[in-house]
Amino acid sequence: MTFVDLPGAVPGGGVVTPPPTTAVPSVPLTPSRAQGPVRFTGNGRAYLWLLIRGALLLAVTLGIYRFWLSTDVRRFLWVHTEIDGDSLEYTGTPFELLIGFLIAVAVLIPIYVGLFVLALNLGVIGQFMGILALPLLAFLGQFAVYRARRYRLTRTVFRGIRFHQGGSALRFAVYAMFWWILIVLTIGLAYPFAQAALERFKMKNTYYGNLRGRFEGSGFDLLFRGIAMWLLVMVPLVGSIAYASAAIDWSSIKSISGATDFEELLRQFSAANPKLVLTLGTAMAIANLSVTFAILLFPVFQAVVMRWWINGLRIGEVAISSQLRVGTIYYSYVRFVGWSLLLGLIAIIVAIIGAVVMAVVGKSVAGQQSMEILGVVGAVLFYVVIMLGYSTIYQATVKLTMWRHAVATVAIANLPALDNVVAEGVPSSALGEGLADALNVGGI
Amino acid sequence: MSAGPGIYFDGKTSTRQAVTVDAAPTALRILSNDGATLAEWPYADLQSLAAPENLLRLGRRSTRSLERLEIRDTGLAAMIDQLAVSIDRTGIAERRGRKKVIAWTFAACASLVLVAVFGVPAIADRLAPLIPLSVERNLGVAVDKQIRAMLDTSRSNGRPFECGDASRERAGREALDRLMRRMERAAELPIPLDAKVVRRREANAIALPGGHIYVFEGLIQRARSPDELAAVLAHEIGHVANRDGTRSILQAAGLSFLFGMLLGDFTGGGVVVIAARTIVQSAYARDVEAAADLYGVRLMAKIGGDGKALGTILERIGGLEPGITILSDHPETKARIQAINAAAWPKTGDPVMSPDDWVALTRICG
Repeated sequence: MTFVDLPGAVPGGGVVTPPPTTAVPSVPLTPSRAQGPVRFTGNGRAYLWLLIRGALLLAVTLGIYRFWLSTDVRRFLWVHTEIDGDSLEYTGTPFELLIGFLIAVAVLIPIYVGLFVLALNLGVIGQFMGILALPLLAFLGQFAVYRARRYRLTRTVFRGIRFHQGGSALRFAVYAMFWWILIVLTIGLAYPFAQAALERFKMKNTYYGNLRGRFEGSGFDLLFRGIAMWLLVMVPLVGSIAYASAAIDWSSIKSISGATDFEELLRQFSAANPKLVLTLGTAMAIANLSVTFAILLFPVFQAVVMRWWINGLRIGEVAISSQLRVGTIYYSYVRFVGWSLLLGLIAIIVAIIGAVVMAVVGKSVAGQQSMEILGVVGAVLFYVVIMLGYSTIYQATVKLTMWRHAVATVAIANLPALDNVVAEGVPSSALGEGLADALNVGGI
Repeated sequence: MSAGPGIYFDGKTSTRQAVTVDAAPTALRILSNDGATLAEWPYADLQSLAAPENLLRLGRRSTRSLERLEIRDTGLAAMIDQLAVSIDRTGIAERRGRKKVIAWTFAACASLVLVAVFGVPAIADRLAPLIPLSVERNLGVAVDKQIRAMLDTSRSNGRPFECGDASRERAGREALDRLMRRMERAAELPIPLDAKVVRRREANAIALPGGHIYVFEGLIQRARSPDELAAVLAHEIGHVANRDGTRSILQAAGLSFLFGMLLGDFTGGGVVVIAARTIVQSAYARDVEAAADLYGVRLMAKIGGDGKALGTILERIGGLEPGITILSDHPETKARIQAINAAAWPKTGDPVMSPDDWVALTRICG
């Protein structure tokens, strides 16, 4: 684990925190805490064991164990995060999450049933019910995200004082929907500003005791850091569309007559454009470049956003800055892909052996019908194991690295401001967590 | 030694206080460095809280305040652990609680599977007759559109998907309509029937909610007598009469809901839901098909046709496969044919259609 290693000035943070080992700290550190203000003390092996055990229990309890697993995961991450010598504490319990889930079920059942009945009654229009329901569920999802954040904050205790969050989740959801529409309309260009605005909303409603948070990251700053990536992904895509529309004689489509189905239309159209296949192929190849860039750049993008986000966090007079390295995050993804490939290889071997055994042994014992059911059960089991395996590997590589590295590269200016905070705030219900769970928008 | 160093947070401010912790016989005393007693916590009230491995973090059960006492001294921590029974440092109590949860979850899963296998079809059976016919017709229109999109794969070489509209096909269409009218009169259903022949190579026929019946071109080509075709139509009319389409939609909705809600955020839960649904529904389907067979045989008897013809065509095509499913939705064909033959009456009336009509019908797709 690396401790804070600052070159002198922190970009973006505005406040300078000296490395703990240098002689003249502008912010005096208490002598007993010489190791650096923020560190992660968790053991990767212990975390992996926790995840593997959790995955097995998830499988045998049809997922009910998830409340216990996510509580364990949070406890592990929180407790092993040490700020200025004192570790964070997570006070949430699995039963709270379970109750939150039950409340969410109670809220969602009437909504689902209502949508179903409406779809039945509307006939043809009912088919579009799915599309109409999507914004409603997205809205609920944003509501849940905000409320879940509130739950997690009020269950986070540091030095005998809890964090808490005010603000209306409804207003946040409206706000978030507005920004997401804008992001779609601007093909992603509004993303930095959306992030900045939503984070400002969240942070200005975030408190540690009586210390109020705020967010100082600027959308322009993130745009500046990310625009090259955006161009790398967008230019080939736009280029391929432009190329295809310029190279193909679209006017010939008007002259096509007597075509009753798509195949006939295509045949006449390609007759008018002898190089149609070649042109479309080239355009597809260029567009594929976009996809490749997007996949390769995703970890970089994530790291850039994360560093920008941490650099913007403030609580009272306390300023946080990050020296997060893109390479570390990238390497964690490489490890994820490597382990996933290994798991996939093992899974394929096991599946082949299983199929052969079934073909040889099973046919003589069981009838056709039960063999089919056995096959489906086997396939489902296989799928569950693979999905849980991937998710465990992801948690143990990418997620853990992100948390550990983000924590280890954080520098905090004006730490003494955390020494005399007065307690405030009350624990909130886990409704948001439950909704987020039921709507599949869960966070940590 | 019964005392040692600790860190105390009073829960009111974040101030870190270095204290001396005295493990007295009945209570833990927290003393400030100048000797004043800051707090006295009875052992029964102590609670061990989430903390890193080398730290004993204590709180109080009886209060909502977040007062914390942190002890790094291992000797002192072990002593407090012994004195306070309520402290669950090794996590035995919590593990016991979890085992209980896991055991009950097993029980809940078993009960859920029972509900899925027995409860959902029972509910769907009772609900389906209560759904008004107008709703069923709307449902039929929606399903019809989707099924058509699924079946019509534009392999018909420029001809329309439905047979019977071209001039040389019209005679076949009229023959089919005559047969359908005859069967409809015998069936006396509250819902109008609408049978169409479509260009698909498979030997199959399907019934949708709202009285839509699709007969595939492949079935007509492989049928050797009018009775065989009529018997398959009678089987499909059985599905309409029993409202099987509506029932299966209700079942699908109920099962998705049941499994979907439970599995929640569970990774990849969606696919598991679909698979579980397929298995359970294909189990329901066996009874449904058997019921439609019986209905078909009875309807054939009513119009004076040969009920056994359903058996002979089934034997030739090896079971009717409704739609595209990975599991065979029909009980093993042999058992079905036996049940059909046992229930069938000998042929009594006139032929179900005239020889001319039959020839026209075999040419309905040109």
